[in-house]
Formats: sequence, C-alpha cells, structure tokens
Amino acid sequence: MAEILRTDARTALHERPGAEQSESRTLGANVVEDGRYMAPPTDEDGKQWVRTSVLIKGEPRDLYGLWHNVEDAPLWQEQIASVTRTGEKTSHWTMQSATGTLEWDSEIMSDEPGHRITWRSIGGDSENAGEVVFEAAPGGRGTYVTVLQEFRMGKLASTFETLTGRNPKQAVIENLRHFKALAETGEIPRTHGQPHGPRGAAGTVKSAAYAENVAQPPGLERMAS
Amino acid sequence: MKAVCWMGKSKIETLKVPDPVILNPHDAILRVTRTAICGSDLHLFDGFIPTMEQGDILGHEFMGIVEDVGRDVKNLKPGDRVVVPFTIACGQCEFCHKGLWSACDNTNPNAHLMETAYGYSGSGLFGYSHMMGGYAGGQAQYVRVPFANIGPLKIESYLPDEKVLFLTDIFPTGYMAAENAQIAEGDTVAVWGCGPVGQFAIASAFMLGAGRVIAVDRIPERLELARSLGAITVDYTEQDVSVLQAMRDLTGGMGPDSCIDAVGLEAHSNQLQGVYDKVKTMLMLETDRPIVLRQAIQAVRKGGTLSVPGVYGGLLDKVPFGAAFGKGITMKMGQTHMHKYMKPLLERIEKGQIDPSYIISHRITLEEAPHMYEVWRDKKEKVTKIVIDPWAEKAA
Ligand SMILES: NC(=O)c1ccc[n+]([C@@H]2O[C@H](COP(=O)([O-])OP(=O)(O)OC[C@H]3O[C@@H](n4cnc5c(N)ncnc54)[C@H](O)[C@@H]3O)[C@@H](O)[C@H]2O)c1
Ligand SMILES: [Zn+2]
Ligand SMILES: [Zn+2]
Repeated sequence: MAEILRTDARTALHERPGAEQSESRTLGANVVEDGRYMAPPTDEDGKQWVRTSVLIKGEPRDLYGLWHNVEDAPLWQEQIASVTRTGEKTSHWTMQSATGTLEWDSEIMSDEPGHRITWRSIGGDSENAGEVVFEAAPGGRGTYVTVLQEFRMGKLASTFETLTGRNPKQAVIENLRHFKALAETGEIPRTHGQPHGPRGAAGTVKSAAYAENVAQPPGLERMAS
Repeated sequence: MKAVCWMGKSKIETLKVPDPVILNPHDAILRVTRTAICGSDLHLFDGFIPTMEQGDILGHEFMGIVEDVGRDVKNLKPGDRVVVPFTIACGQCEFCHKGLWSACDNTNPNAHLMETAYGYSGSGLFGYSHMMGGYAGGQAQYVRVPFANIGPLKIESYLPDEKVLFLTDIFPTGYMAAENAQIAEGDTVAVWGCGPVGQFAIASAFMLGAGRVIAVDRIPERLELARSLGAITVDYTEQDVSVLQAMRDLTGGMGPDSCIDAVGLEAHSNQLQGVYDKVKTMLMLETDRPIVLRQAIQAVRKGGTLSVPGVYGGLLDKVPFGAAFGKGITMKMGQTHMHKYMKPLLERIEKGQIDPSYIISHRITLEEAPHMYEVWRDKKEKVTKIVIDPWAEKAA
C-alpha cells in the first residue's frame, strides 16, 4: 500500500503506447506547457487576441514552407491583393477593397525552420503581430498548426469587417481553415459565382456572412489563369 | 437553365437561372438526367432547417452526364454517366481517411455557421441550406459538382438511370442505418417510417441477416411495400394499437434487438405528446419533434442498438435518456458516409440482388416539382418516391 501512495501520477501509468513525447517551450502560441493546458490570452487595453488550431495531413516542414512563402499568401488569405518581399525578413502587404487600399509592412521576428514563425507589422494601416507553430500531432496523424494573432482594432480591422462581414478574429480562423484546405486538397471550397434564383430584399442583408457573397481566396485556381 | 428554387417556407418555384460554371480545379459540370425529391427536402419546404435563403436551388439526389471537368479532375471525362453522392467530401482530410466521409473537414465554405451550432462542422451538402455548405442543388438541368475527383460513381453498365439513381442518397442511407443497427444473424429489427429510407433500411436489414423486421408507419401503400419485402407491419394509428405493446408482443416480451428511426424531426403523432411538441416548436422552445426517438428508446431491448438515419436539427425535449442509460443501449446516427457504400451497393444492383426503382410512384417534369412538394407533404396522393426528368416537357 505504502508503495502505491508514494507513486506519483507520472509513473503510475506504465503503458502509453500511443502517447506523445512531451516537449516544453515558453512561446505564446503554445497550447501545452509542462503538461498543462494553457488558455489563450484574453483581450485587454484595445488589444485583441485570437488563437486557433487545425490538424493538417502533412509534414510540419512542408506546411512551414507553404506558410513561409509570403508571396503566396493571397492564394489563401481573405482580401489580400498582393504581398511583395522587400527584404530578407520584410514584406509589403496590400488589401484591396471597393473603397480603397490598405497597406502595411511586416517583419519576421523569429524563424525556426520547420517549426515556428513570429512576425509583426512595422508601420502602415495595420497594427498586428502573430505567431504560427507547426508540430507533429500525437499518433502520427499529421501536423497541428496553431496560430496566435494579436491586433488592435483600427482602420484595418474595421474596414475588414465592413468588407467581408466577418469580424477580424473570425477572419484569422477562416484563413487558417483556407490554409488547411489548400494544403490538403489544392483548393479552397467555393460557392461564390454559382447560380441561384432571385434573392429578394431580405436575402442580401442576411447572407453577408455566407461564402457565396464573400469572395473566397482563390487557392490554386489563380495559378491556372 | 431551369431549376427548382426555395423561395421561402412552403414556397417553391421552378425558375430560369444562370447555368453553373467550373469554379475550382476539382469541379465538374453535369447535365442532370434524373433527380429526386427526398424526405429531407420536406424539412426544407416546411421551414425546419435554418439558413435557407430565397433563391436557393434545391436537390441533393441526382445523376447525370459529365459536360465539363476542371483542370485537376482526371478520373472523369465529358460523356461519362455518374451518380453523385449528396455529401461532398475532399478525400484528403483526417475524416475522409477514416471513412467518415460526411464529416469531411474541407468542403463546407460556411463551416463557421455549423461550428456555432454544433461545435464542429460536417461536410458540405448539395441544396441543403447555407449552414451545410450553401451549394446549389441538383433539381435543375445542370449542376456543378465540387470534388468530382472523389465523389461521383461512374456507371458503366447498361442499367437504366432509375435503377441506380438512389445510390445518390436513400439506398446507402438505408443501408448504413442497418449497418449502424449492428445486426447479428437472426436478430429482430424494428424500423419506424416506411418512406424511402425506411424501405431501404428494411431491405438492408434482411441483407445483413435480420431474422424478423417490424415496420411501423400509418400510410397503407408504404406498409404494403414493407410487407412486400417480408416485414411485419404495425399501423400505429389503428384503433387499440400501442407501438410499445406491439414491440413486446412481436419479440416474446424482450423488445427488438435493434431499432431504426427512419422518420426524424417531423414525426407525426395524434396523441397528446404530439400536441405538446407542436406547441413547443411553435414557441421555439424546442426545434424538433422527437416522438419516434422517444418510442424507439423505450422499445429497444436491454443492451440493444438504436440507429437514427432520420434527420434531427436542433433541440429535443423530453428524451428518455434515463431509459437509454438504464438499459445500456448503443446509439449510432448521422449523415450517411456515402462514399463508403456507393460502389458495393452498385455491385448488389448489378448482380440483381435488389432493384431500388421499386419505390418510385411518380415521374414528373421540373415544372411539376413545386406542386409535387405540396402533394407529398399533404399526402394528397399515394406518394412513395418522386423522380424528376429535368429535360422532359410538361405533357399537354
Ligand atoms: N441520415 C441521412 O443521411 C439521411 C439521408 C436521407 C434522408 N434522411 C432522413 O430520413 C428520414 C426519412 O426520409 P424519407 O425520404 O424516407 O422521408 P418520408 O417523409 O418519405 O418518410 C417518413 C415516413 O415516416 C412516417 N412517420 C411519420 N411519423 C411517424 C411515426 N410517429 N411513427 C412511424 N412512422 C411515422 C411517415 O408516414 C412517412 O411514411 C427523414 O428525416 C430524412 O430527412 C436522412
Ligand atoms: Zn435525400
Ligand atoms: Zn475530407
């Protein structure tokens, strides 16, 4: 009996055939640290946070590569018209809308190939910072991709909302969803451009959040044209 | 082209709309040769499913001839004849890999709407609300089929459309319902609802070894079809009939080994319980009418299985969960994992083991479709299954 009492939880379980090897790091996007679940940061002082993850069938290294290729971001990020590399670590982002153009510069803060990227905006119409982590999912099921994005409500966020009918937090979630769809299937599911009957007056207002009315990023379709 | 459009609750019209075009690399465009109206479409007609919008093109059961394919569709070419599964699946995600095709992660462009309601989103469906993808449906002359590299089943045999059309939904749905019922050789299986889904559940239960099938409905011609398959029928509206008593009487007091709810959220009842649910759904305190679900939970034997192909959408009141726990039953349910069943079931049709066209009662044109929704809902005629030829002209 006494022996059992001395045994701690970690050693009490002798067989965990499918379990992961725990690693611990101290980064913002980490969901687990030292075996403990870490809740996402909460909004404060005008700063908003969103953390979201997906399981993608693929290797961390390949998915890191796809993300790192910032000039391809318009393929899967909503409303981004173009991204141009301006230096080894910097890029220029343009968001096009009916009412005008929003522009900002972005800088990579840290870069761990195959594993993690952090960035922040350095001037322009948007104040944001973000981190993405790629880690092998337990059981060899693919890669968990987790994004932590921080932004201030400002011109970008509010314009985005009127443009797409999505709040900017949801947009981060949708963009990661598009990234997954593109990585797994080569395309982003789309209904924008399909036929329908007359929508009537009510339809147009209510359906602002439907994909049919938000131009989805093109995925690889753009490469074809 | 012409298409059947949802224009509001109880309001369906056949209208001229633009032709569909290829939007993505894995798309195909079909010229629809046959399409059908489903019991699930009645839930839309009756306004039970949220996020339908005026102008939505209906229809999730269809087949046709490939007209055009996107850049990355290599398995199909124009001229191929195909049946299309009503659930859209990418074939690449974790769920598709597991064979849980209707849970595909990558085909619902409005996944966020379903995440809000259900926690996670299922796959996109044709013609079945924006929450479930918002894809234009196939009760039309042409339809766009996303992920045509994965879903459509090529029909290479001489079989006429009508014999293979129901591979699009109801035959696999009835079959999965029977598979979910975990039938062992000689088991007694009770099926509520003798609509198309119930019919194929009965047939499939026998194929999977059931010793006795009990079928419950109130519509004489449907009960007759069920008897023609070999089931014992119970008309729950007949004077003095208690369904629970019937289940005990027909199983030596033990209850059926498996129960299948092939009715779903719009179950009909002439008892007080039905009035209670009707009032509550009208007041929006309850969204579904789970009369059959309650009965099936009560009826199933200890340790038995309840399989639910009938659709439920939202909140259910007074579900006897204590009975479910107390008897230790298993429940299995959900949208059909179509892609898993189409090919093996086509083989059964090709071998002559079953001819699914036996349930067809009406063959109509697109123009006649709006009226037939009404006829089916109000049970004005003996309707078992309505098939539409989108190119047929109205008989003068
Ligand atoms: N799981 C799936 O993927 C899937 C696919 C297709 C259809 N469905 C669902 O399956 C259900 C049946 O579809 P269908 O096309 O056969 O519809 P249907 O409307 O033709 O048939 C339903 C039958 O249930 C009977 N019924 C109503 N109340 C009853 C009660 N209290 N007891 C016994 N029978 C009762 C009706 O008389 C009718 O014959 C629907 O809910 C439909 O949405 C599910
Ligand atoms: Zn159907
Ligand atoms: Zn998938």
